[in-house]
Amino acid sequence: MAKRITIDPITRIEGHLRIDVEVDNYAVSNAWASCTMWRGIEKILRGRDPRDAWLFTQRFCGVCTTVHAMASVRSVEDALKLEIPLNAQYIRNLILIAHALHDHIVHFYQLSALDWVDVLQIPKADPAAASRLAETLSPWTRNSRNELKAAQDRVNAVASSGQLGIFANGYWGHPAMRLSPDVNLLAFSHYVQALEYQRKALQVVGILGAKTPHIQNLTVGGVANAIDLDSQSALGIDKLELIRTLLADVAQFVQQVYFVDVCAVAAMYPEWFKIGSGVRNYLAVPDLPLDSRGSAYDLPGGYIRDGNLASLKGFQTSSDPIFRQAVTEDIMHAYYQGNKALHPWAGETEPAFTGWDGEQKYSWVKAPRFNGEPMQVGPLAQVLIGYAHGHPLTRKYTDLAMEKIAAVGGVRPTPALLHSTLGRHAARAIRACMLAELAQKHLQLLVENVAKGDYTVHNQPVMPTHEVEGVGTHEAPRGTLSHWIVIKDEKIKNYQAVVPSTWNASPRDRSGAHGPYEASLLHTPLARPEEPLEVLRTVHSFDPCMACACHAFDPSGRKIAVAKIL
Amino acid sequence: MKRVLIGGIGNVLLGDDGVGPYAVRLLEAIYALDENVEIADLGTPALDLTHQIAGLDALILVDSVAGDGLLNDAPAGTVVLYRKEDILRETPAPRMDPHSPALSECLMTAAMLGASPEHVLLVGIVGKSYEPGGPLSAAVRESVPLAIDAILEELQRLGFAFRKKPAADDPIIWWSDGHAWRQLNS
Repeated sequence: MAKRITIDPITRIEGHLRIDVEVDNYAVSNAWASCTMWRGIEKILRGRDPRDAWLFTQRFCGVCTTVHAMASVRSVEDALKLEIPLNAQYIRNLILIAHALHDHIVHFYQLSALDWVDVLQIPKADPAAASRLAETLSPWTRNSRNELKAAQDRVNAVASSGQLGIFANGYWGHPAMRLSPDVNLLAFSHYVQALEYQRKALQVVGILGAKTPHIQNLTVGGVANAIDLDSQSALGIDKLELIRTLLADVAQFVQQVYFVDVCAVAAMYPEWFKIGSGVRNYLAVPDLPLDSRGSAYDLPGGYIRDGNLASLKGFQTSSDPIFRQAVTEDIMHAYYQGNKALHPWAGETEPAFTGWDGEQKYSWVKAPRFNGEPMQVGPLAQVLIGYAHGHPLTRKYTDLAMEKIAAVGGVRPTPALLHSTLGRHAARAIRACMLAELAQKHLQLLVENVAKGDYTVHNQPVMPTHEVEGVGTHEAPRGTLSHWIVIKDEKIKNYQAVVPSTWNASPRDRSGAHGPYEASLLHTPLARPEEPLEVLRTVHSFDPCMACACHAFDPSGRKIAVAKIL
Repeated sequence: MKRVLIGGIGNVLLGDDGVGPYAVRLLEAIYALDENVEIADLGTPALDLTHQIAGLDALILVDSVAGDGLLNDAPAGTVVLYRKEDILRETPAPRMDPHSPALSECLMTAAMLGASPEHVLLVGIVGKSYEPGGPLSAAVRESVPLAIDAILEELQRLGFAFRKKPAADDPIIWWSDGHAWRQLNS
């Protein structure tokens, strides 16, 4: 008998992701992804000074603050055809890289590792044996018996208190959990260490951006950092050296711990290379500009269709004409007036809530389409597109991941197996290694450029009186982010943000095509439908973030997964 | 030396949800505080709040709260105080996205690291309207002085000095007027 399972974990005013799946004979037979709160924030921007937009967009989301600030200034700069001084490009790139490293580490350890790691097995682990195992996997120096024993003690303290506290929300003892107690302990020890290293990455954002969580150093035309090598308050030798040390620490954690853990988990759950593929069209924009005009980038972009790497069409710039023309947002199944598919510059955001109806409208998320087709965005898209380009850095870490997984588990995955739940995790770890390496490069580029005597950080914007359009993009931790702006009479006439989770969490479109979350869940096997751990594994692999959260402390009870017989 | 953080939580673009950042900016404009007391507009930090609070001695947060479920379904503008044990009573929900980790979870994570603040006060203000771009509801705005009093009482209880500035600074509530760019660049 088929039953519908709704995963809708948070109450009331917090906008968030809801997943509905129909389960038939222990496998998902249909799926819907929806967002439960209106994302109408863009309307606030109309009529404002375009130079202010980034302050507001930075508040779209408390998790991805900097990415919306950056896409916003880039949209205005694109509209004004404004070049950005080299120093400003490097400083922005360093902020974006540090933010992404922080985000990728948080995602794997704090938000998804416990889908694979059973914390309640840890008391049975042998720290000495776990330490010996760790030595075979990585040169990381913090895998000693003592360090692992301390991590085990933390779990024992929580478990013996009778209240699971932070671990109260896991599906412990679930039959889909398969790691040995020693591996569970090792992963958990890194979960604790990850908190330390993600903080170091945030510190870099704070030093360059003047403040976290909301950076203050951006401005249309560049950045507001004063550069003075001899000063302690401005960006000088002291701060640059501190940034170098922090980034080196984070790089070591990413390459010796995060990357290794993902490869080890992948090797131990190889069937998840065959689950969770879904939409095999991929999209990524070029990012990390290397010159002031934005004509050369460290990360390549483009799109591929139907999983075929040979179909790659590359983008030359981050606001490539192909990209500018191909994007529409379809509202056939979203809670907005009408059913048009509009280009973002002509986009409308007029709400018309009608309640959840899987056949009609069921989400506040619009359905972005590229030449009319759904696209998967995120680290997997970026890695596959980089691989298709023959991008050396992408190839280096992708090949390294394949070798590592084979060495641990005997299964030798190919890039074709990356179209999967595990593929998304592996790609994120690959991307993190690439970014950790690029961080050192961009810091060096900044130092060398300043050493030449170039202290320029800002070009003055000149607002035209006629109407202009621009798109600002960023390949954010969750994928392609684009802010679309129309400026008239020095004011914002229209503004639309097409965010990564809109691409991935999109509902069906007018042709009935599923969005990537939905498509990826079809046929997923479920061992215990009432505890849909397998659904969470795949949804979490996308790193969902609904970017519309309105947080308020709610002292009343919460729902968890609700199962309903159809 | 003991360290205290006074953090405003909430999304300034969503009406009454912005009352936390509004209240702490007002507090900072009116009062000079002990050098070990930090004030921050934290926005909606989710799990990153852990990094802000780990290692503090005392944490004071201001946030909008839901009125239903409280005694008699408290009306907008009601100020409700919560202590650590009240907050920890909330069981973490399954995580769907990075916004989900709530305050309780950040406190539990800090505790697991052995770095949870000893003193925690959440000054909740019952909100009413969360419309994008909306102003604070009148009842919520009028209750902000009450929330500030609650913060000052907590500082006093903890033994930290504060005094009213001879003339208040501009609190720079940039999201509520049309002059953000000029204000920040002047």
